[in-house]
Amino acid sequence: MLLGIDVGGTFTDFVLLEDAGRVRIHKLLTSARDPSLAILSGIDDLKAGPGTTVVHGATVATNALLERRGARTALVTTRGFGDVLEVGRQTRPDLYALHPTRPAPLVPAELRFEVPERVDNQGAILVSLDAGTTDPTVHALLNQQVESVAVCLLFSFLNPTHEQLVLERIQALGGDRAPFVSLSSEVLPEYREYERASTTVINAYVAPLTHRYLANLEAGLEGRRLRIMQSNGGIISAGAARALAARTALSGPAGGVVGAFELARRAGFPRAITFDMGGTSTDVSLCPGFVQQTTEGSIAGLPLGLPIIDIHTVGAGGGSIARLDPGGALRVGPESAGSDPGPVCYGRKEATEITVTDANLVLGRLDATHFLGGRMALDPERTQVRMQDLARRLSLPLEAAAWGIVRVANSNMERAIRTISIERGFDPREFTLVAFGGAGPLHACELAAALRIPRVLIPPHPGVLSALGMVLADVVKDYSQTVMLRAEAAAGDDLERQFAPLYQRARADLEAEGFSPEQSTLLPSLDMRYVGQSYELGVTTPDGALGKIQQYVAGFHQAHRRRFTYANEAEAVEIVNVRLKATGHTAKPRFTRQSLGGLDPKAAFIGYRPVYFAESDAAAARPIPTALYERERLAPGNMVVGPAVIFQLDTTSVIPPGWAAAMDAGENLVVENRSS
Amino acid sequence: MNHTDPVTLEIYRNLFISVAEEMGVTLGRTAYSPNIKERRDFSCACFLDEGSMVAQAAHIPVHLGAMPASVRAVLEAFGAWAPGDLVVLNDPYLGGTHLPDITMVSPVFVDDLDSPSFFVASRAHHADVGGMAPGSMPLATEIYQEGLIIPPVKLVEQGQTNRAVLDIILRNVRTPVERQGDLAAQMAAHRVGEKRLQTIVARYGLEEALHYAHALLKYAERLTRTAIAQIPPGVYHFIDEMDDDGISQQASLPAGTETGPQIRVAVTVQGEEMTVDFAGSSAAVAGPLNAVRAITESATWYVVRCLAGPDVPVNSGTFAPVHVIVPHASLLDSDPPHAVAGGNVETSQRVVDAVLGALAGALPNRIPAASLGTMNNLTVGGYDSGRKAPFAYYETVGGGAGAGPEGAGLSGVHVHMTNTRNTPVEAVEYAYPLRVRRYALRTGSGGSGQHRGGNGLVRDIEFLCPAKVTILSERRRTAPYGLQGGRPAKAGRNVLVRKGQAQDLPGKVELDVEPGDILSLRTPGGGGWGEPSS
Repeated sequence: MLLGIDVGGTFTDFVLLEDAGRVRIHKLLTSARDPSLAILSGIDDLKAGPGTTVVHGATVATNALLERRGARTALVTTRGFGDVLEVGRQTRPDLYALHPTRPAPLVPAELRFEVPERVDNQGAILVSLDAGTTDPTVHALLNQQVESVAVCLLFSFLNPTHEQLVLERIQALGGDRAPFVSLSSEVLPEYREYERASTTVINAYVAPLTHRYLANLEAGLEGRRLRIMQSNGGIISAGAARALAARTALSGPAGGVVGAFELARRAGFPRAITFDMGGTSTDVSLCPGFVQQTTEGSIAGLPLGLPIIDIHTVGAGGGSIARLDPGGALRVGPESAGSDPGPVCYGRKEATEITVTDANLVLGRLDATHFLGGRMALDPERTQVRMQDLARRLSLPLEAAAWGIVRVANSNMERAIRTISIERGFDPREFTLVAFGGAGPLHACELAAALRIPRVLIPPHPGVLSALGMVLADVVKDYSQTVMLRAEAAAGDDLERQFAPLYQRARADLEAEGFSPEQSTLLPSLDMRYVGQSYELGVTTPDGALGKIQQYVAGFHQAHRRRFTYANEAEAVEIVNVRLKATGHTAKPRFTRQSLGGLDPKAAFIGYRPVYFAESDAAAARPIPTALYERERLAPGNMVVGPAVIFQLDTTSVIPPGWAAAMDAGENLVVENRSS
Repeated sequence: MNHTDPVTLEIYRNLFISVAEEMGVTLGRTAYSPNIKERRDFSCACFLDEGSMVAQAAHIPVHLGAMPASVRAVLEAFGAWAPGDLVVLNDPYLGGTHLPDITMVSPVFVDDLDSPSFFVASRAHHADVGGMAPGSMPLATEIYQEGLIIPPVKLVEQGQTNRAVLDIILRNVRTPVERQGDLAAQMAAHRVGEKRLQTIVARYGLEEALHYAHALLKYAERLTRTAIAQIPPGVYHFIDEMDDDGISQQASLPAGTETGPQIRVAVTVQGEEMTVDFAGSSAAVAGPLNAVRAITESATWYVVRCLAGPDVPVNSGTFAPVHVIVPHASLLDSDPPHAVAGGNVETSQRVVDAVLGALAGALPNRIPAASLGTMNNLTVGGYDSGRKAPFAYYETVGGGAGAGPEGAGLSGVHVHMTNTRNTPVEAVEYAYPLRVRRYALRTGSGGSGQHRGGNGLVRDIEFLCPAKVTILSERRRTAPYGLQGGRPAKAGRNVLVRKGQAQDLPGKVELDVEPGDILSLRTPGGGGWGEPSS
């Protein structure tokens, strides 16, 4: 049995995938002070036995970074470069700020130490470091009572001996009380010292907390196998997560993308755009047959160079606040009412500002008695009063104001999806929009229509997709090494030689995770560019095996042409990094598939009500008698023709006129635009 | 159509800005040179047929007012347009800024109309446009020395590229393959912008699109007027002084001598309008510090935009309530054939310092002290004997930001008119015969005060081959000012260490270096704000 556990701000979600393929869902309130309390009681509730593998999205690293509650961390650099974190790339995030600010570095000035050493761009030692020249620095940092140390020396990815020496001396002089040590040559052996230092420091900052949290949880699991979700969309053993805690820093949204993509793929739609609309923000990610990654991620404004799922976030969610600005435009977000005080319709006295959720209620798209499966009664009268107030200021009728809020929110999200699709050379018309999160299925069809996306897929349990992604994920580890090699110089067995240490580590790690070579895939790739460029493209061979350099050069020209519209085959090409992605394929039971029944959804029909829809995206909305259904009582094969609204515990789905939703054998709603 | 509704207004804000942004993404993605791809030294914008700018993607503030100027120049130069036309220009005296910035302007036809309904424009900083030094930013005295001058000409007519124009451009630059790639990238961006505008018109209709384009101009104007109205009315003066022009007053001035080129400004705030008058500023100078009028306007509008806040869309409406008066043939509205390379990168920063300095009189509790006030331009070129190839390295170095009432200034950062990234130390050493010996904050360079100014940077570079070095830097003699009792920052220094002997270099200099020489750029900090506690 596989049990996915996602700890959110309010709820801890459980998805249990039984060996027979049956899926069970469970939800508990998050135990904020010690998340493992809710986790362990959920395991009890579900009676998940000792043979269960628990897959967990640990938010301890993420929260430590967002709330700046990590370890007291020191940084050791090459002499002359101690300020690397503070200088960064010397840019400011906001061009037009009168008083520009940047997130403060995780290591303050008094905890930055320099050692007298230097390695050149070939890995040759120019200024040698020994115990005698290292120890004064080590004594100084031990005196500062630091809990964790990051070491980032120039060109250490070519020659790590000096970093290793610093580690040895810290362990020798610190003895039992030696702090955690993170070496940049191990965390991210790639060039660009700022990004490498930032990633290493992030690791050092979250390592002690993560270590304690996972040790504690493992003890509570009494021998059940524990795996941890990573930011790259794969999972690893708890032991491996402890060794490199930064891998989990952005794991929260990763589970949702993996879950959404896997469901879409199994439903026959491998080209998917995932659309996760929550209370304060919306995450979108484009999956052209696979989950895309980037190494240009960041968390809390700090760069993280490890591979992570490529997710684009905008500040538009159900709780986004609508306001009329002084120039006379209706703005929606990025300010959010969050869960406290929440939208006006939640009924809290302090909640006075109209949100997107309130607009949906006024338009009849949400139902006051069906919200959260009826667990939470909404307050339509209060919402009307506040909406009327905003509508007066907008000089619009009540429903037109509410429809305006939905249109503006949709236009913000439309821009986000344009950014990840059209602006990167993908045509949205070839994709399926997978809608989840509390508010995704409310907005998905109208958003899809604006982008001419023909199909929306709404999973059976859109509120627990992240936990579902955890049970569907494979074990994935990424390895990389900067080599900076001209392609013409990489003849013969040079590539094999460069890759050999990566293969060796990958095979050992997968074996330690319990995978035989037959259950594993190793995917080598090269980061390449034209000499003189500073932006690399990843290139693999067509069959994914380690190929000859000529294949990679040809592949690079081709990739460059596709991405940048041109290639220059006469130009010299260089290999910046070699990369290896190691995947251990987990055993995944097939979901139970239902046989398809009749088309008629009348068993789920609960009534009619006027709901506001527009005939075109520019038109004002008007009320149309709309059929209401309960998702739980829909059966595979049923077809719901819009206009319709479908209620369920964790979301509400709006099916506009011209769209029709069919429930497939996996109990997804496949909603298609019939008018295009 | 005369009704403007707040919902549709907001949606059109998104639509027009996404046109400019998509153009920018295409340009950044398809450009050849690292300067455009990595340092993102470019801008894109869309315009109404009469030349008002409707939206500009936020890339480089110095292009803010300069984009409308190029469209104006193009509209004056050409009366008749056909679909598929595209004009190229870089003439600073006809809508440009400095020669490396090459601008393109093209019409957008919709609904089978005979005249264009919109224009789109792009501007990119090209790594070389010929002239007496690689990188086209030499210490010149005439614009003819700075590179190839392109007046507004149709590079493409009805879809047909004018091969003769292209050949002349490519024959006059040092890296023609790269130039051709970057020019093609700009043209690709124009095709995207044109198509996006046509799609919007097809979806919503021309009448509505034009109505809301005008409504967005008025909207930005209203927000700007609201912001200006918050400033106490009055006349506020400031004088700032530049070090020297690099030619006629070659750094021989002792500290405190008031003879560098001066920027004088009087800001008059009256109700919702503001007049910024640069009367009394120095005449155009012999060296390459001269700014064309568009740069002075850009720097002024940059300040207004910072005051107005992030809600205001970047369009011509924000300019309407701000009147900029610049004496002709001056440092701030230069006339041909003066050299202008540094006007864009150095004088523009000082115009910001002067306008902010004046406004500090009106808004003592909002305006921050002076930031470093220079981009510290460094160009190194020569022959790399190890890699057996010529090389050219261009870098700008940040410094301290001024402190303000909200707190200390940032350290080691680019401010105001630029935001380009540094080249990583390991990238420098992989690509060039250079070794970076130190890249660190310049401790103690920020001005003291209740809030401390940010620290400048130290970048020490050792040369492994003989090379030619050009430095174009400011604030080596005059220090960034403090405000409300805050102390000035330390001025910058350029030092050459040769055989163990350190010697100070001028702020603007060309020199030949030998292997083993170390150049130390020590950039200014930011001024302090408020009386320091004793």
